[in-house]
Amino acid sequence: MIHTQEKSSLLSQGVFIFVYLAVLTGLEFFVAITFSSVPLLVVVALIKAALVVYYYMHVYKLNLESEIDEHAYDYKAGTNRLGLWLFLVSDSFVFGGLMVVRINLLGLTRPELNQLLGLAVTAVLLISSFFMNRGETLMHNGDRKGFLLNTAITFVLGLGFLLGVVLVEWRVAIHEGLTPDSGPAGAAFFMMTGMHAFHVFTGLILLAIVMANGRRGLYDEKNYPVEAAAVYWHFVDVVWIFFYPALYLIGRLA
Amino acid sequence: MKKTNPVGKGLLLLVIGGVVGYGIGLGLDLLISGTLNFSGSVASAFALLLAVTAFFFGLYGYRGITRGLTWQVVGTLLGALFITGIRALMGSATVFGPFLFSEPAWVFGALAGVVSFVFGVGIVDDWFNWARGIDTPEHHEDEPGWEKYFGVSLDHKVIGIQYTVTALVLIAIGGTFALIFRTELAASQLQFLTTTFRLFNQTGPQFYNTIMSLHGIMMIVSILLGVSGIMNYVVPMIIGAQDMAFPRLNAFAYWVAVPASVLFLMSLVLGGFDTGWTGYPPLSARAPVGMQMFFLAVFTAGWSSILGSLNVIATVVRMRAKGMIAMRLPIFVWASIATSIIALTATQLIGLSFQLVMFQRLLGMPFFNAAKGGNPVLFQHLFWFYSHPAVYVFVLPGLGVISELLPVFVRKPLYGYRWIAMSSLGIALVGFTVWAHHMFTSGMNEYLRVPFMYSTLLVAVPTGVKFFSWVATLWQGKIETPTPMLFVLGAIIVFLIGGLTGPPNAAISLDLHLHDTYFIVGHFHDTIFGGFVFPFFAAIYYWYPKATGRRMSEFWGKVHFWMMTPSFFILTFGMMRIGLLGMRRRIVDYDPALGLDTAHLIMTIAGFLIGLSVLIFFINFFRSLKHGEEATGNVWNSRSPEWQVPSPMYVHNYEVPFEVVGEPYDYGLHGSKYVEFISPNEVPQHPHPPSPAKVESIK
Repeated sequence: MIHTQEKSSLLSQGVFIFVYLAVLTGLEFFVAITFSSVPLLVVVALIKAALVVYYYMHVYKLNLESEIDEHAYDYKAGTNRLGLWLFLVSDSFVFGGLMVVRINLLGLTRPELNQLLGLAVTAVLLISSFFMNRGETLMHNGDRKGFLLNTAITFVLGLGFLLGVVLVEWRVAIHEGLTPDSGPAGAAFFMMTGMHAFHVFTGLILLAIVMANGRRGLYDEKNYPVEAAAVYWHFVDVVWIFFYPALYLIGRLA
Repeated sequence: MKKTNPVGKGLLLLVIGGVVGYGIGLGLDLLISGTLNFSGSVASAFALLLAVTAFFFGLYGYRGITRGLTWQVVGTLLGALFITGIRALMGSATVFGPFLFSEPAWVFGALAGVVSFVFGVGIVDDWFNWARGIDTPEHHEDEPGWEKYFGVSLDHKVIGIQYTVTALVLIAIGGTFALIFRTELAASQLQFLTTTFRLFNQTGPQFYNTIMSLHGIMMIVSILLGVSGIMNYVVPMIIGAQDMAFPRLNAFAYWVAVPASVLFLMSLVLGGFDTGWTGYPPLSARAPVGMQMFFLAVFTAGWSSILGSLNVIATVVRMRAKGMIAMRLPIFVWASIATSIIALTATQLIGLSFQLVMFQRLLGMPFFNAAKGGNPVLFQHLFWFYSHPAVYVFVLPGLGVISELLPVFVRKPLYGYRWIAMSSLGIALVGFTVWAHHMFTSGMNEYLRVPFMYSTLLVAVPTGVKFFSWVATLWQGKIETPTPMLFVLGAIIVFLIGGLTGPPNAAISLDLHLHDTYFIVGHFHDTIFGGFVFPFFAAIYYWYPKATGRRMSEFWGKVHFWMMTPSFFILTFGMMRIGLLGMRRRIVDYDPALGLDTAHLIMTIAGFLIGLSVLIFFINFFRSLKHGEEATGNVWNSRSPEWQVPSPMYVHNYEVPFEVVGEPYDYGLHGSKYVEFISPNEVPQHPHPPSPAKVESIK
């Protein structure tokens, strides 16, 4: 089991996963601008998502075996973890549906968007996931200060992503004629980024709550809320791992 | 001091609130539009909101549901005024719309109203306290008496009854709509819903369309709530849990359905909508504001369904009694799991499809606007991806109830337990792959037709497994027929008819002719009555003593059954017959030359008899609360653990935990045992079973 490992090895694992993600994102971008192979982009996105789901969201912690003491904190945390994952499964159907909308309406074309901006916000979100993982790992090992610092960095990066999409990217897109009512491309773009931004926004609220309660000293060994906020944050990241190629990379310019 | 009857007080205030609201609405409308519109929407909307709020104020005082509704009214108005103000400041040409507020203002107002309700009723207080770092106790006990049902309670049994009663209220409203339009259909030509008829800014035919659509969706929502009601009440009890896994989320899931119900009524008064419950664009993209209220209502009710099913799955996975392994789960739990899997995932898609139409209307995003490159058929795919599996959400718990109750009244083991458990999951999984059979005539890609025909026919296999099991269970059993068993038997027969009329619709060549005829209407009423309505009544008659300690009148229960069942057969066989003869669905009038007047008249009479029988059920239901025969023991001689303890159930279910030691449905087998209660002082600390002398065993 992973949770018996040393703090330092967990932290370095986070770094390795982050490096993998960065390299894969670079590869993705390179594939898209050179020979635009859809299957390859899908494979890369799946690998990225699997890395995040396993190492950052700890899907392996879903232990469904019944234990004797139903009132212990760990048991309750396990139930809450199951509830959270069920919610994420449910939520992923919204995003899946949006992907279907995009594929049905746009097919193998894509809207003309600012590539540099897209890569920048994607990078910001991936980096925020790295710091979130670091913060969570530190809290798990009893380092409250480190947790607060890393979560604060996550929050700032997340806010940067949100503002980057809603204030900068949307404005740039509208300026270049891609408005919500211009056609299916505009509609899909604004609905997908909008729904994702809404989830980022709720994630930021959760991060703010665990930060405030962390400052109050609420978490010790009983720190499930931190894990929950982190898992939700990474989920938002996973969604973007698929939305980014769907909106920016796949297909020809319409 | 004179003690007033709260119901009488509530009804008095209902009338006063309605009149005052009507006056306010009339005045506001006069102020904005300059004309007095007595049958208009604005006056009706205010009358509706104030009447409902005032009723609960009289009944219950300013707390719980009354506070929620008051906040909803205030939230709606503030939200609408907020948007109206912004539009006025921006110099928009359309600050006000035909229904006082403009459409965006109503939409934002309705959403704000739902959120305000949730805050007002007090269900999110605990979560806010957590966010502020204040811990709150997991359970608080409720006061005994009826008042706990109108406020926030975390007890799954209270919530289950809240769900059930809300479902019954919605069934009554939706059934009334059906009786209204059934009366209009009794003869060809327009009788009272004429073109000169005016109500809620709608002419007679428009009003027909609205109530026909609302009949569909209110029945669907009432079924979803009824399903949640049974699952909430029964599942934790029969698996030996103290409560659901997430009691607060459970309460939230119930309470968010209440403002949704109000929104459905708002859609009626705000111009209505004429799309049927399916809300297909492009028609839904230009229907009146009522369409948006309908979308928001379904969206909100969807949260309830999603969160409720999440809770059921987590409860079953984490909170089963000792020894309750997968193959010893009560069969109803298997059905609940299957239904919850569908509701948890697929519901998102109907929410999404309606959300996209909402945004198409609000911001002009052309998802389904073919003129701008959108695709109307895409809506149908998204919509039916939920709305077909949804019918399995409706029927699976009902079929579970049949399998659960049948062995009790046949005094024989359930035949083929494993097969029947797996068939529920099978139906749920196959159900995800059949949605496009609703779209054979819609102009979707032709190559999709045949695969969807085969997948649809495949559903008959797991369903057939259930039928074989039921028939084999009945075979040579000692059949007793108290009211719940009558409804179980009725359900089996009605569902059989519904099932047999399904495959003809699945066959493409036939469906091209049957599509949108009354044959389809007859078919799905059979499946829904057999799969949900009959088992729902069976479940209410069966678990009523558990909830109240009294049983419902057997005599009136039997009257209910024997009045409803034949009338229902006449109604649905009539529907199928006229459908084959060329009667189209969803239309207000038909050609007298079709020669269907007599059939329609007979069906209308049958419809009213069903209505009367349900009215008898309602009277029986409420009368038995006080006057029913006392029944605190094991009324049905069941093996299930909840009947081994006295009724009504304790607050936290079992004072003494139990352990599962045998198969659940071994009725009539000598010496077989399902559960054993572990005496409190002797809770075993070791994995071996305790010695028999120290265990209170109840057979």
